[in-house]
Amino acid sequence: MPDQIEGSPGTSMHGVTGREPVLAFSVASPMVPTDTTAKFDLPVDSEHKAKVFKLFSLANPHMRTFHLSWLSFFTTFVSTFAAAPLVPIIRDNINLTKSDIGNAGVASVSGSIFSRLVMGAVCDMLGPRYGCAFLIMLSAPTVFCMALVEDASGYIAVRFMIGFSLATFVSCQYWMSTMFNGKIIGLVNGTAAGWGNMGGGATQLLMPVLFEIIKKAGATPFTAWRIAFFIPGWMNVIMGILVLTLGQDLPDGNLGALQKKGDVAKDKFSKVLWYAVTNYRTWIFVLLYGYSMGVELSIDNVIAEYFYDRFDLKLHLAGIVAATFGMANILARPFGGWTSDFMAKRFGMRGRLWNLWLLQTAGGIFCVCLGLVNSLPLAITFMILFSIGAQAACGATFGIIPFISRRSLGIISGMTGAGGNFGSGLTQLVFFANASFSTAKGLSYMGIMIICCTLPVSLVHFPQWGSMFFPASNDQVKGSEENYYVSEWTEEEKQKGMHQGSIKFAENSRSERGGRVASFPSPPNSTPNHV
Amino acid sequence: MEFRAGCVVRYLIVSSFVASGYGVTFSSLHKTVVLSASSPKGHGSLSLSLSLSLSLSLSLSLSLSLSLSLTHTHTHLLGVSACSPNLAVLTAGEDELTITWAFNETFPAGIDSSYKTIKVKLCYAPVSQKNRPWRKTVDELNKDKTCQHKIVERPYTPSNNSFTWRIERDVPSASFFVRAYALDSQQVQVAYGQNTDATKVTDLFHVEAITGRHVSIDVASICFSAFSIVSLVGFFYMEKRKAKVVQDK
Repeated sequence: MPDQIEGSPGTSMHGVTGREPVLAFSVASPMVPTDTTAKFDLPVDSEHKAKVFKLFSLANPHMRTFHLSWLSFFTTFVSTFAAAPLVPIIRDNINLTKSDIGNAGVASVSGSIFSRLVMGAVCDMLGPRYGCAFLIMLSAPTVFCMALVEDASGYIAVRFMIGFSLATFVSCQYWMSTMFNGKIIGLVNGTAAGWGNMGGGATQLLMPVLFEIIKKAGATPFTAWRIAFFIPGWMNVIMGILVLTLGQDLPDGNLGALQKKGDVAKDKFSKVLWYAVTNYRTWIFVLLYGYSMGVELSIDNVIAEYFYDRFDLKLHLAGIVAATFGMANILARPFGGWTSDFMAKRFGMRGRLWNLWLLQTAGGIFCVCLGLVNSLPLAITFMILFSIGAQAACGATFGIIPFISRRSLGIISGMTGAGGNFGSGLTQLVFFANASFSTAKGLSYMGIMIICCTLPVSLVHFPQWGSMFFPASNDQVKGSEENYYVSEWTEEEKQKGMHQGSIKFAENSRSERGGRVASFPSPPNSTPNHV
Repeated sequence: MEFRAGCVVRYLIVSSFVASGYGVTFSSLHKTVVLSASSPKGHGSLSLSLSLSLSLSLSLSLSLSLSLSLTHTHTHLLGVSACSPNLAVLTAGEDELTITWAFNETFPAGIDSSYKTIKVKLCYAPVSQKNRPWRKTVDELNKDKTCQHKIVERPYTPSNNSFTWRIERDVPSASFFVRAYALDSQQVQVAYGQNTDATKVTDLFHVEAITGRHVSIDVASICFSAFSIVSLVGFFYMEKRKAKVVQDK
C-alpha cells in the first residue's frame, strides 16, 4: 500500500536541515490526527509517532530516542577525530611524516563511505537500535587499539577502522523517522545531525584537556596520549549500553512488528537506485556536499595542528580554537536550513539554490583568507566565518535534497552523505598529505576548490521551478510538480497505485514556487503528508 | 639553505639595533662558542670530544645577511676527528649526554661582554627534518623550529662549563646535534655554537625514543575491548532468547 511505503522507516530521511517550510516544532491536529487512545507523554499520530518535538524532555520513547540517537552520533564523531588535536604529540612518538598524517586523515573518513551505505540495510534487518549499538560497541575496541599503535601503518589502520563508526549518522536519521511524524522530521533530523557533528569540535577540546590531566598525574607525554584514548573508547561502550537498555526501535517497542512491516510491499531497490543514479542533480549534490561537509571533516582533522604549528599555540589552546570550528554546528547548520526556507518563501526553489551557492561560496572565500593571514586573531575570525559558511551550506543542501526525487529520497540522501566523506578524503589527500606545500597553502587552495566546485549548482534545473539563471517552464504539463515526480514511475507501477505518495508530495511541494503559489489552484481535499 | 663556503661578512656593531626587538636571524649570529657533546655509549669518534673552537665575535651583521645563509666560518673546525657520521644510538630516558662549552679564545676578548646566559638545546638534523615541516629551519630565530628541546640554561661563563643530561623521555626518535645560544640581558640571541658543522651532517647522534606503551595499558585495552564485544553479544543473545520465550508461550 502506498501509505506504508511512505511511512516505512527509513524513507523519511529527508530534511536534515534545521527547519521545515512549515514551522515544525509541532504538527497541529487537524492536519495530522492525534491518536487519543495512545498513552504517551507526547501527542502522537496514528502510527504513534510524536507530533511534537520537546527538546528538553526525556519522555520515553520519543524524546529519549532523540537524545540517545544524537549522543551516539556525537560519540562517534568524538572517537573518529580524537587523534587530530593530539597529532603534535603522536607524530613525535611514532615518528610520522607529513604524508603519514595526511593519509591517516584520509583513512579516517574513507571507511564510512562504505559503512554508511551498508548501514541502511542493517537498520532494515536488525532495527536502528541494534544497528546503532552494534556499530558503536564494535568500534570501541578499535578506539582502545589506538593505545597499542607503534608506527605509521598501525596509526593509519586504526584511524581507518574507527572511521567506520560514522555510519551512526544513518542509524540516527533512520531511528528518528520511526519516532517522529513526517511534518516535523526535518527539524528533528537537522538538530540531531548538527548536534552530532559538534562532536568533531568537542573532541578538539576534550582530548588535549585529558592529555594535560593525565600528564599532570605523572605520565610521560608518549604514554599520556595513549591513556587519553580510553575515554572516547568508554564513551562508545557506555552509549552502546544505554542504547540497548533504554532504547526501543518503535514507539510501541516492538522489533517484531518492525520486521512484519518490512514484509509489506516495499519498493524494488534496483528501481530506486536507478532513479537516483540517472538523475543528474544527484551527482551535482554529491559533488557539492563533498565541498561543504567534506571540507568540514577535513578541517576537523587539520585545524588543531595548523594552529599549533603556525601560531605556536599550546596544545590545549590550539584545541580550543579548533573546537570553535566544530561547535559552530550547533547553530550554523540549522541556520543554513532556516535561510533556505526563508528564501524559498519569497523565491521558491530558485531562492534555495541561490542561498546554497552564496553560503558555500562565502565559505570558500573565507577559507582562502584563512590560509593567507599571518595574525592569530584574523585567522580565528576567518575560521569562524568559514565554519558558518560551510556548515550552513550543509544545512541548505538538505533543504533541497528532498525535492530532487520522492521515490529515491533515501538513496540520494545516502549517496550525498557518502559524497561528503569522499570529498573529505580527496581534499585531504590532495591538499594536506603533500609535503610540497604548507598547510596554509593547502587551506587556500582548498578554498579555491570550494568556490569552483560550488559553481555546478547553477546547472540544477527543475522544470517546474527553474534554476539559478532560468525560470520555470511555461508548459502546463512539463512545468507541473506532478509531472516531475510521477515521471519516476512506470505505467504498470502507476496502475498499481504506487505513485500516490509522489502525487501527494507534488501537491505539497508547490510551495517551492515561491511567491507564485497563491495563484496556482490547489486540488481540493489534498491531505498534506510528508513535505 | 645556502651555505657560503669560506669567509665571513663584514660586521657592523649594532647592538642597539638588536635590543630594539628586531627578529634576530640565525645567519647574523657568530659562532663564537666552542661546544662538544659526548656520550659514554658508542664508538670512537663520538667519545673524542670534538672541540670545535667557535669564535666569539661580536659582530652582528644585520644590514646584509638577512639572506638565509649561515655565515659562520669554518675556522674552528679543527680536528673534527669525527670519522664516520654513524654515531651511537642513544636511548631516551636512559643514556646520557655530556656537553661542554667554552668561549673560543681565538676571538678577541671582550666580545663576550654582552653574553649573559647560555641556552643549550637539542636540535634536529636535516635528515630528521625531511617531510616534517613542523621541524623546519628558518633563518629568523623566532620562527625557527630546528631546536625544540631545551637541555640546560645557565649564566654565561667563558670556560669550564659542562653538563650531563639524561635524554628525556619526550624526545622523539631522530638524529640530533647540540647547539648553544648565547643570550644577552634582553634574552636575545647574540651568538651560538654547535657540535656539528654548517651542513649538519657530521657528528650527529641518534636517539631511540620510548614507545610509550606499557603492559598495563595493553592489558587494559584488551580487557575493555573484550568487555564491549561480550556485553553486546550477550545482550543480543539474551533478548533473542526472551523473545523466543514470549513467542513460545
